[in-house]
Amino acid sequence: MANIAKVAEALGYTVVTMKDPERNVSGGYAGDLLSDVMGHADEDELLITIQGHKNTVAVASLLSLTAIILCNGREALQDMIESAEAEGVAILQTQETQYQASVRLDGVLKALK
Amino acid sequence: MRFSIDLHNHSCLSPCADDDFYPSILALEAKDKGIDMVALSDHNSTANLIAFKEACDLVGITGVYGMEITTIEEVHLLSLFETVEEALEFSQIITKSLVKIENNVRLFGHQHIVNVNCEITGEVDYLLYGPSTYSFEDLIGLILSHDGLAVPAHIDRPSNSALANLGFLPAAPYSAVEMIHLDRTYLDGPYPVLQGSDAHTLNHVGRRRTFIEGPRPDFSTLRSALEAHKVSYPA
Repeated sequence: MANIAKVAEALGYTVVTMKDPERNVSGGYAGDLLSDVMGHADEDELLITIQGHKNTVAVASLLSLTAIILCNGREALQDMIESAEAEGVAILQTQETQYQASVRLDGVLKALK
Repeated sequence: MRFSIDLHNHSCLSPCADDDFYPSILALEAKDKGIDMVALSDHNSTANLIAFKEACDLVGITGVYGMEITTIEEVHLLSLFETVEEALEFSQIITKSLVKIENNVRLFGHQHIVNVNCEITGEVDYLLYGPSTYSFEDLIGLILSHDGLAVPAHIDRPSNSALANLGFLPAAPYSAVEMIHLDRTYLDGPYPVLQGSDAHTLNHVGRRRTFIEGPRPDFSTLRSALEAHKVSYPA
């Protein structure tokens, strides 16, 4: 099974916070409209997005997502990082686009199977 | 005469606002900060406007009765009305159109309905972030057709704004646009620019404001000042 520590290492993205490196990663969901994410993302997935604020963590926590990948070099606001630490949601950051991150994640998850 | 206005503020009804940030406290604090006209614009609900109106009347400040509506594109749009009655009537349309998800208080916060004495009388059980099923442009038309002012909120914010979510500010008959940071491009543009506090806690009240020119601090003066671009800002 793929855990977030292994996935993060394989992706080579910057780890902003990762309180629980053992958390399972089942897949990914790419989206910036949080209402859409709320309706469609599933437990243990990674959210691939550009939304670097606290509400993203609330949505991730509500759905028991494992991590948030911030694309296009978007920075996490400080209150987002604090909230993610409290909720045990990891945040990764990359210069890559959401498309590139989705493709990369798919490859990494297949390799770690 | 010049009047100080602040048309974007929340109360304890908004999930992201402090639980002790009551509408009466907003009215009192705005008066104390020298604001002449203050709006309460909670997310997608007018449930605290009656308490807010009573407080404004007691305090002696002109209330403006609003909502910060989330469009289908998740853009925040202020609807502002002269009277509580108009605002409440308009909110029925919005409430019907909201995508209702049960609120998780731990993650999003309380959504308390209170009275003028700051006593909790109820709580909205679905998450007030929305979104509505109306599009940004449809909502502009809908607000204006109900005699409200339609103001895209914090257009320069990196989330939930026209520029971030739509990519640009579509040409539409906005009453004004709200900015966090004044930008020459927009100051010289076709819409008057407002600065509002977007207060979520007591200490945010009055942190941004706009001046309007006119005879009285009332809604018709506000409307005329916006139409004539008679707005200015603290130095």
